[in-house]
Amino acid sequence: MGRSRKAGAGAVLALAVVSGCASTTTSQPAAGGTSGAKVTVTTRSLPEVGTVLVTGKGYALYMFVPDRRRAVTCTGVCAGTWPPLMLPSGATLAAGPGVKAALLGSDPAPGGGRVVTYNGWPLYTYTGDVEPGQATGQAIDLNGGPWYVLCPSGAPLEPGP
Amino acid sequence: MTAPRPSSPRTGPGRRAVLLGGGLAAGAAGASAVWALTGPSAAAPVPAAPGIPPDDDLMREHGVLKRVLLCYREMTRRIQAGDRVAAPDLHDAALIIHDYIEGFHEGLEEGYVFPRLRREPAVAGTVTTLLVQHARGRVLTQFILANATARDLASPGTSGRLAAAMQAFVRMYEPHEAREDTVIFPAFRRVVPAQELADFGQHFADLERQQFGRDEFGAMVARVAGIEQHLGIYELGQFTPQVGPFSPSA
Repeated sequence: MGRSRKAGAGAVLALAVVSGCASTTTSQPAAGGTSGAKVTVTTRSLPEVGTVLVTGKGYALYMFVPDRRRAVTCTGVCAGTWPPLMLPSGATLAAGPGVKAALLGSDPAPGGGRVVTYNGWPLYTYTGDVEPGQATGQAIDLNGGPWYVLCPSGAPLEPGP
Repeated sequence: MTAPRPSSPRTGPGRRAVLLGGGLAAGAAGASAVWALTGPSAAAPVPAAPGIPPDDDLMREHGVLKRVLLCYREMTRRIQAGDRVAAPDLHDAALIIHDYIEGFHEGLEEGYVFPRLRREPAVAGTVTTLLVQHARGRVLTQFILANATARDLASPGTSGRLAAAMQAFVRMYEPHEAREDTVIFPAFRRVVPAQELADFGQHFADLERQQFGRDEFGAMVARVAGIEQHLGIYELGQFTPQVGPFSPSA
Protein backbone atom coordinates (compact mmCIF):
# COMPACT_ATOMS: atom_id res chain seq x y z
CA MET A 1 0.00 0.00 0.00
CA GLY A 2 1.34 3.37 -0.86
CA ARG A 3 1.91 5.91 1.81
CA SER A 4 -0.30 8.91 1.70
CA ARG A 5 1.07 12.25 0.73
CA LYS A 6 -0.04 15.50 2.19
CA ALA A 7 -0.82 16.99 -1.17
CA GLY A 8 -3.03 14.12 -2.09
CA ALA A 9 -4.84 14.18 1.20
CA GLY A 10 -5.34 17.89 0.90
CA ALA A 11 -6.73 17.59 -2.56
CA VAL A 12 -9.31 15.04 -1.63
CA LEU A 13 -10.39 17.05 1.37
CA ALA A 14 -11.76 19.75 -0.84
CA LEU A 15 -15.23 18.32 -0.59
CA ALA A 16 -16.81 21.73 -0.37
CA VAL A 17 -15.99 22.50 -3.97
CA VAL A 18 -17.62 19.39 -5.33
CA SER A 19 -20.55 20.57 -7.33
CA GLY A 20 -21.90 17.30 -8.62
CA CYS A 21 -21.73 15.60 -11.98
CA ALA A 22 -21.76 17.91 -14.97
CA SER A 23 -24.58 16.26 -16.81
CA THR A 24 -27.30 14.45 -15.00
CA THR A 25 -29.83 12.50 -16.93
CA THR A 26 -32.13 11.64 -14.09
CA SER A 27 -32.83 12.94 -10.65
CA GLN A 28 -35.15 10.18 -9.65
CA PRO A 29 -34.00 7.40 -7.42
CA ALA A 30 -33.48 4.44 -9.70
CA ALA A 31 -35.49 1.36 -8.98
CA GLY A 32 -33.11 -1.07 -10.61
CA GLY A 33 -32.21 -4.32 -8.95
CA THR A 34 -31.16 -7.82 -9.68
CA SER A 35 -33.59 -10.23 -11.21
CA GLY A 36 -32.38 -13.69 -11.92
CA ALA A 37 -28.81 -13.56 -13.13
CA LYS A 38 -28.62 -9.83 -13.72
CA VAL A 39 -26.42 -7.25 -12.08
CA THR A 40 -27.92 -3.82 -12.41
CA VAL A 41 -26.03 -0.55 -12.38
CA THR A 42 -28.27 2.45 -12.17
CA THR A 43 -28.24 6.10 -11.08
CA ARG A 44 -29.51 7.97 -8.08
CA SER A 45 -29.29 11.52 -6.80
CA LEU A 46 -27.34 11.49 -3.54
CA PRO A 47 -26.83 14.33 -1.06
CA GLU A 48 -23.74 16.47 -1.75
CA VAL A 49 -22.68 14.56 -4.87
CA GLY A 50 -25.70 14.70 -7.15
CA THR A 51 -26.66 11.96 -9.58
CA VAL A 52 -24.12 9.17 -9.57
CA LEU A 53 -23.88 5.47 -10.28
CA VAL A 54 -25.34 3.12 -7.70
CA THR A 55 -26.04 -0.58 -7.38
CA GLY A 56 -29.49 -1.93 -7.99
CA LYS A 57 -30.19 -1.48 -4.30
CA GLY A 58 -29.02 2.10 -4.26
CA TYR A 59 -25.52 1.80 -2.80
CA ALA A 60 -23.01 4.25 -4.24
CA LEU A 61 -20.41 2.88 -6.65
CA TYR A 62 -16.84 4.15 -6.55
CA MET A 63 -13.78 4.12 -8.77
CA PHE A 64 -10.21 3.82 -7.51
CA VAL A 65 -7.67 6.13 -9.13
CA PRO A 66 -4.78 3.61 -9.09
CA ASP A 67 -6.88 1.27 -11.25
CA ARG A 68 -6.22 3.73 -14.11
CA ARG A 69 -9.11 2.25 -16.10
CA ARG A 70 -6.95 -0.78 -16.73
CA ALA A 71 -7.20 -3.35 -13.96
CA VAL A 72 -8.60 -4.20 -10.56
CA THR A 73 -5.87 -3.19 -8.12
CA CYS A 74 -7.81 -3.08 -4.87
CA THR A 75 -7.17 -6.57 -3.57
CA GLY A 76 -6.61 -8.26 -0.24
CA VAL A 77 -7.47 -6.13 2.77
CA CYS A 78 -8.44 -3.24 0.50
CA ALA A 79 -11.31 -5.31 -0.87
CA GLY A 80 -12.56 -5.80 2.67
CA THR A 81 -13.23 -2.08 2.89
CA TRP A 82 -14.13 -1.59 -0.79
CA PRO A 83 -15.92 -4.74 -1.97
CA PRO A 84 -15.85 -4.91 -5.76
CA LEU A 85 -19.08 -5.23 -7.68
CA MET A 86 -18.73 -8.78 -8.92
CA LEU A 87 -20.30 -10.19 -12.05
CA PRO A 88 -21.10 -13.80 -11.24
CA SER A 89 -20.42 -16.39 -13.89
CA GLY A 90 -23.36 -16.52 -16.28
CA ALA A 91 -24.88 -13.28 -15.06
CA THR A 92 -25.60 -10.37 -17.35
CA LEU A 93 -25.28 -6.64 -16.87
CA ALA A 94 -28.33 -4.39 -16.89
CA ALA A 95 -28.25 -0.62 -17.31
CA GLY A 96 -30.79 1.26 -15.22
CA PRO A 97 -32.17 4.72 -16.03
CA GLY A 98 -29.40 7.19 -16.75
CA VAL A 99 -26.75 4.56 -17.26
CA LYS A 100 -25.11 4.23 -20.68
CA ALA A 101 -25.18 0.53 -21.45
CA ALA A 102 -22.27 0.91 -23.85
CA LEU A 103 -20.03 1.96 -20.97
CA LEU A 104 -20.74 -1.15 -18.91
CA GLY A 105 -18.25 -3.99 -19.01
CA SER A 106 -16.20 -6.22 -16.78
CA ASP A 107 -12.57 -6.89 -15.92
CA PRO A 108 -11.02 -10.06 -14.62
CA ALA A 109 -10.42 -10.13 -10.88
CA PRO A 110 -6.87 -11.13 -9.97
CA GLY A 111 -8.00 -14.22 -8.12
CA GLY A 112 -10.84 -15.26 -10.40
CA GLY A 113 -14.25 -14.02 -11.41
CA ARG A 114 -15.04 -10.67 -12.98
CA VAL A 115 -15.60 -7.18 -11.65
CA VAL A 116 -18.14 -4.86 -13.26
CA THR A 117 -16.63 -1.80 -14.97
CA TYR A 118 -18.04 1.48 -16.24
CA ASN A 119 -16.13 3.48 -18.80
CA GLY A 120 -13.23 1.17 -18.01
CA TRP A 121 -13.28 1.84 -14.27
CA PRO A 122 -13.73 -1.22 -12.03
CA LEU A 123 -16.61 -0.52 -9.65
CA TYR A 124 -16.56 -0.89 -5.88
CA THR A 125 -18.90 -0.27 -2.98
CA TYR A 126 -17.83 1.08 0.43
CA THR A 127 -18.44 -0.50 3.81
CA GLY A 128 -18.91 2.94 5.34
CA ASP A 129 -22.13 3.30 3.36
CA VAL A 130 -24.35 1.37 5.73
CA GLU A 131 -27.57 2.39 3.99
CA PRO A 132 -28.56 3.03 0.38
CA GLY A 133 -28.30 6.63 -0.70
CA GLN A 134 -25.05 7.44 1.07
CA ALA A 135 -21.68 8.37 -0.43
CA THR A 136 -19.48 8.58 2.65
CA GLY A 137 -16.48 7.28 0.75
CA GLN A 138 -16.46 10.16 -1.73
CA ALA A 139 -12.96 11.69 -2.05
CA ILE A 140 -11.52 9.47 0.66
CA ASP A 141 -7.82 8.72 0.23
CA LEU A 142 -7.33 5.18 1.48
CA ASN A 143 -5.58 1.93 0.57
CA GLY A 144 -3.19 3.60 -1.81
CA GLY A 145 -5.19 6.29 -3.53
CA PRO A 146 -8.33 8.38 -3.71
CA TRP A 147 -11.84 7.06 -4.32
CA TYR A 148 -14.58 8.88 -6.19
CA VAL A 149 -18.15 8.25 -7.14
CA LEU A 150 -18.82 8.10 -10.87
CA CYS A 151 -21.03 10.37 -12.91
CA PRO A 152 -23.35 8.77 -15.47
CA SER A 153 -20.99 10.15 -18.12
CA GLY A 154 -18.31 7.80 -16.81
CA ALA A 155 -16.22 10.59 -15.32
CA PRO A 156 -15.12 10.43 -11.68
CA LEU A 157 -16.55 13.17 -9.51
CA GLU A 158 -13.23 14.71 -8.51
CA PRO A 159 -13.06 17.84 -6.38
CA GLY A 160 -12.47 21.01 -8.30
CA PRO A 161 -9.24 23.03 -8.09
CA MET B 1 -5.46 -26.92 6.57
CA THR B 2 -8.12 -25.05 4.71
CA ALA B 3 -7.62 -21.37 4.31
CA PRO B 4 -10.59 -19.23 5.33
CA ARG B 5 -12.93 -18.10 2.61
CA PRO B 6 -14.46 -15.01 4.04
CA SER B 7 -17.45 -14.33 1.86
CA SER B 8 -19.53 -15.24 -1.10
CA PRO B 9 -19.21 -13.37 -4.40
CA ARG B 10 -20.22 -9.79 -4.00
CA THR B 11 -22.52 -8.70 -6.69
CA GLY B 12 -24.24 -5.44 -5.95
CA PRO B 13 -27.12 -6.56 -3.79
CA GLY B 14 -25.37 -9.80 -3.06
CA ARG B 15 -22.52 -7.92 -1.52
CA ARG B 16 -24.99 -6.17 0.70
CA ALA B 17 -26.45 -9.50 1.56
CA VAL B 18 -23.00 -10.54 2.61
CA LEU B 19 -22.36 -7.48 4.69
CA LEU B 20 -25.79 -7.07 6.08
CA GLY B 21 -26.79 -10.65 6.25
CA GLY B 22 -23.71 -12.40 7.51
CA GLY B 23 -23.09 -14.20 4.26
CA LEU B 24 -19.42 -14.55 4.98
CA ALA B 25 -20.15 -18.03 6.19
CA ALA B 26 -20.91 -19.09 2.64
CA GLY B 27 -17.99 -21.44 2.84
CA ALA B 28 -16.03 -23.08 0.10
CA ALA B 29 -18.95 -23.10 -2.33
CA GLY B 30 -18.81 -19.35 -2.64
CA ALA B 31 -15.51 -17.84 -3.66
CA SER B 32 -15.04 -14.68 -1.71
CA ALA B 33 -14.49 -11.43 -3.48
CA VAL B 34 -11.95 -10.55 -0.84
CA TRP B 35 -10.38 -13.94 -1.07
CA ALA B 36 -10.50 -14.00 -4.84
CA LEU B 37 -8.86 -10.61 -5.03
CA THR B 38 -6.00 -11.44 -2.76
CA GLY B 39 -4.21 -12.89 -5.76
CA PRO B 40 -2.49 -16.16 -6.41
CA SER B 41 0.00 -15.90 -3.59
CA ALA B 42 -2.68 -15.62 -0.96
CA ALA B 43 -4.72 -18.31 -2.61
CA ALA B 44 -1.87 -20.76 -2.33
CA PRO B 45 -2.06 -23.39 0.40
CA VAL B 46 -1.34 -21.81 3.74
CA PRO B 47 1.43 -23.55 5.63
CA ALA B 48 0.33 -25.09 8.89
CA ALA B 49 1.79 -22.98 11.63
CA PRO B 50 0.48 -21.87 14.97
CA GLY B 51 -0.28 -18.22 14.38
CA ILE B 52 -1.67 -15.54 16.60
CA PRO B 53 -5.44 -15.99 17.00
CA PRO B 54 -7.15 -13.37 14.83
CA ASP B 55 -8.84 -11.63 17.74
CA ASP B 56 -5.55 -11.43 19.61
CA ASP B 57 -3.94 -10.03 16.48
CA LEU B 58 -6.62 -7.36 16.17
CA MET B 59 -6.34 -6.48 19.86
CA ARG B 60 -2.59 -5.96 19.69
CA GLU B 61 -3.21 -3.64 16.74
CA HIS B 62 -5.61 -1.84 19.04
CA GLY B 63 -2.62 -1.37 21.32
CA VAL B 64 -0.94 0.66 18.59
CA LEU B 65 -4.14 2.66 18.18
CA LYS B 66 -4.30 3.32 21.94
CA ARG B 67 -0.77 4.67 21.91
CA VAL B 68 -1.53 7.01 19.02
CA LEU B 69 -4.61 8.19 20.90
CA LEU B 70 -2.33 8.98 23.83
CA CYS B 71 -0.12 11.01 21.46
CA TYR B 72 -3.19 12.81 20.07
CA ARG B 73 -4.31 13.61 23.60
CA GLU B 74 -0.93 15.10 24.47
CA MET B 75 -0.77 17.07 21.22
CA THR B 76 -4.26 18.42 21.83
CA ARG B 77 -3.27 19.49 25.34
CA ARG B 78 -0.22 21.26 23.97
CA ILE B 79 -2.16 23.10 21.28
CA GLN B 80 -4.77 24.21 23.77
CA ALA B 81 -2.04 25.36 26.17
CA GLY B 82 -0.27 27.30 23.43
CA ASP B 83 2.70 24.92 23.51
CA ARG B 84 4.59 23.69 20.47
CA VAL B 85 3.67 20.55 18.56
CA ALA B 86 6.16 19.36 15.96
CA ALA B 87 4.42 18.94 12.61
CA PRO B 88 6.38 15.80 11.65
CA ASP B 89 5.22 14.09 14.84
CA LEU B 90 1.60 14.95 14.20
CA HIS B 91 1.85 13.89 10.57
CA ASP B 92 3.52 10.60 11.45
CA ALA B 93 0.94 9.82 14.13
CA ALA B 94 -1.87 10.42 11.65
CA LEU B 95 -0.05 8.39 9.02
CA ILE B 96 0.14 5.40 11.37
CA ILE B 97 -3.60 5.67 11.78
CA HIS B 98 -4.14 6.09 8.03
CA ASP B 99 -1.89 3.31 6.81
CA TYR B 100 -1.97 0.72 9.55
CA ILE B 101 -5.25 1.20 11.41
CA GLU B 102 -7.59 2.48 8.70
CA GLY B 103 -5.86 0.93 5.69
CA PHE B 104 -5.17 -2.47 7.19
CA HIS B 105 -6.65 -3.25 10.61
CA GLU B 106 -10.10 -1.92 9.79
CA GLY B 107 -10.03 -3.70 6.43
CA LEU B 108 -9.60 -6.99 8.30
CA GLU B 109 -12.53 -6.14 10.52
CA GLU B 110 -14.70 -5.05 7.60
CA GLY B 111 -13.80 -7.94 5.32
CA TYR B 112 -13.61 -10.81 7.76
CA VAL B 113 -14.98 -10.07 11.22
CA PHE B 114 -18.04 -7.84 10.89
CA PRO B 115 -19.73 -9.82 8.11
CA ARG B 116 -19.78 -12.90 10.35
CA LEU B 117 -21.70 -10.96 12.98
CA ARG B 118 -24.36 -9.19 10.94
CA ARG B 119 -26.90 -11.90 11.68
CA GLU B 120 -26.16 -11.97 15.38
CA PRO B 121 -29.00 -9.95 16.91
CA ALA B 122 -26.98 -9.07 19.99
CA VAL B 123 -24.26 -7.29 18.03
CA ALA B 124 -25.67 -6.45 14.58
CA GLY B 125 -26.54 -2.88 15.57
CA THR B 126 -23.13 -2.40 17.11
CA VAL B 127 -21.46 -3.55 13.90
CA THR B 128 -23.35 -0.92 11.92
CA THR B 129 -22.25 1.77 14.36
CA LEU B 130 -18.65 0.59 14.14
CA LEU B 131 -18.75 0.81 10.34
CA VAL B 132 -20.10 4.35 10.49
CA GLN B 133 -17.35 5.25 12.96
CA HIS B 134 -14.66 3.85 10.70
CA ALA B 135 -15.93 6.11 7.93
CA ARG B 136 -16.04 9.18 10.18
CA GLY B 137 -12.58 8.46 11.53
CA ARG B 138 -11.16 8.40 8.00
CA VAL B 139 -12.56 11.86 7.35
CA LEU B 140 -10.94 13.18 10.53
CA THR B 141 -7.63 11.55 9.65
CA GLN B 142 -7.60 13.12 6.20
CA PHE B 143 -8.17 16.51 7.77
CA ILE B 144 -5.34 15.97 10.25
CA LEU B 145 -2.95 14.71 7.56
CA ALA B 146 -3.75 17.60 5.26
CA ASN B 147 -3.12 20.18 7.97
CA ALA B 148 -0.19 18.68 9.86
CA THR B 149 2.25 21.35 8.79
CA ALA B 150 4.28 23.87 10.75
CA ARG B 151 2.34 26.66 9.05
CA ASP B 152 -1.05 25.19 9.96
CA LEU B 153 0.03 24.49 13.52
CA ALA B 154 1.13 28.12 13.85
CA SER B 155 -2.28 29.33 12.74
CA PRO B 156 -4.64 29.69 15.72
CA GLY B 157 -7.66 28.85 13.62
CA THR B 158 -6.24 25.76 11.96
CA SER B 159 -4.46 24.48 15.05
CA GLY B 160 -7.73 24.82 16.93
CA ARG B 161 -9.48 22.73 14.30
CA LEU B 162 -6.68 20.18 14.45
CA ALA B 163 -7.11 19.95 18.22
CA ALA B 164 -10.85 19.55 17.76
CA ALA B 165 -10.34 16.83 15.15
CA MET B 166 -7.94 14.92 17.39
CA GLN B 167 -10.28 15.32 20.35
CA ALA B 168 -13.18 13.97 18.33
CA PHE B 169 -11.07 11.08 17.11
CA VAL B 170 -9.97 10.13 20.62
CA ARG B 171 -13.49 10.54 21.98
CA MET B 172 -14.86 8.17 19.35
CA TYR B 173 -12.11 5.56 19.23
CA GLU B 174 -11.69 4.94 22.96
CA PRO B 175 -15.18 3.48 23.36
CA HIS B 176 -15.01 2.07 19.80
CA GLU B 177 -12.03 -0.16 20.40
CA ALA B 178 -13.15 -1.04 23.93
CA ARG B 179 -16.45 -2.29 22.53
CA GLU B 180 -14.67 -4.31 19.88
CA ASP B 181 -12.32 -5.89 22.42
CA THR B 182 -15.04 -6.79 24.90
CA VAL B 183 -18.06 -7.52 22.71
CA ILE B 184 -17.25 -7.92 19.01
CA PHE B 185 -14.12 -10.04 19.13
CA PRO B 186 -15.53 -12.41 21.79
CA ALA B 187 -18.66 -12.77 19.65
CA PHE B 188 -16.50 -13.50 16.60
CA ARG B 189 -14.69 -16.17 18.57
CA ARG B 190 -18.03 -17.69 19.58
CA VAL B 191 -19.45 -17.96 16.07
CA VAL B 192 -16.35 -19.10 14.20
CA PRO B 193 -15.32 -22.75 14.58
CA ALA B 194 -11.93 -23.27 16.20
CA GLN B 195 -10.13 -24.56 13.13
CA GLU B 196 -11.47 -21.78 10.96
CA LEU B 197 -10.42 -19.29 13.61
CA ALA B 198 -6.89 -20.63 13.46
CA ASP B 199 -6.95 -20.37 9.67
CA PHE B 200 -8.06 -16.77 9.94
CA GLY B 201 -5.10 -16.04 12.19
CA GLN B 202 -2.69 -17.39 9.64
CA HIS B 203 -4.46 -15.60 6.81
CA PHE B 204 -4.32 -12.27 8.65
CA ALA B 205 -0.58 -12.72 9.05
CA ASP B 206 -0.26 -13.54 5.35
CA LEU B 207 -2.24 -10.43 4.41
CA GLU B 208 0.01 -8.30 6.59
CA ARG B 209 3.08 -9.61 4.84
CA GLN B 210 1.38 -9.22 1.47
CA GLN B 211 0.49 -5.59 2.16
CA PHE B 212 3.59 -4.42 3.98
CA GLY B 213 6.19 -6.98 3.02
CA ARG B 214 6.98 -7.78 6.63
CA ASP B 215 5.56 -8.05 10.13
CA GLU B 216 4.43 -4.46 10.32
CA PHE B 217 3.31 -4.58 13.92
CA GLY B 218 6.84 -4.33 15.30
CA ALA B 219 7.65 -1.45 12.97
CA MET B 220 4.51 0.41 14.03
CA VAL B 221 5.29 -0.03 17.72
CA ALA B 222 8.74 1.44 17.12
CA ARG B 223 7.30 4.41 15.22
CA VAL B 224 4.74 5.28 17.84
CA ALA B 225 7.35 4.89 20.57
CA GLY B 226 9.49 7.44 18.76
CA ILE B 227 6.63 9.93 18.69
CA GLU B 228 5.99 9.32 22.39
CA GLN B 229 9.66 10.04 23.10
CA HIS B 230 9.50 13.32 21.21
CA LEU B 231 6.41 14.26 23.22
CA GLY B 232 7.98 13.25 26.52
CA ILE B 233 5.34 10.63 27.26
CA TYR B 234 7.32 7.48 26.57
CA GLU B 235 8.50 6.65 30.08
CA LEU B 236 5.76 4.53 31.55
CA GLY B 237 6.70 5.33 35.14
CA GLN B 238 5.62 8.93 34.76
CA PHE B 239 2.01 7.80 34.72
CA THR B 240 2.27 6.07 38.10
CA PRO B 241 0.38 8.15 40.66
CA GLN B 242 1.46 9.02 44.19
CA VAL B 243 -0.98 7.23 46.46
CA GLY B 244 -0.03 8.78 49.79
CA PRO B 245 -3.24 10.73 50.24
CA PHE B 246 -5.22 7.56 49.49
CA SER B 247 -3.27 5.08 51.59
CA PRO B 248 -5.05 3.35 54.47
CA SER B 249 -2.84 5.13 57.02
CA ALA B 250 -3.52 8.59 55.65
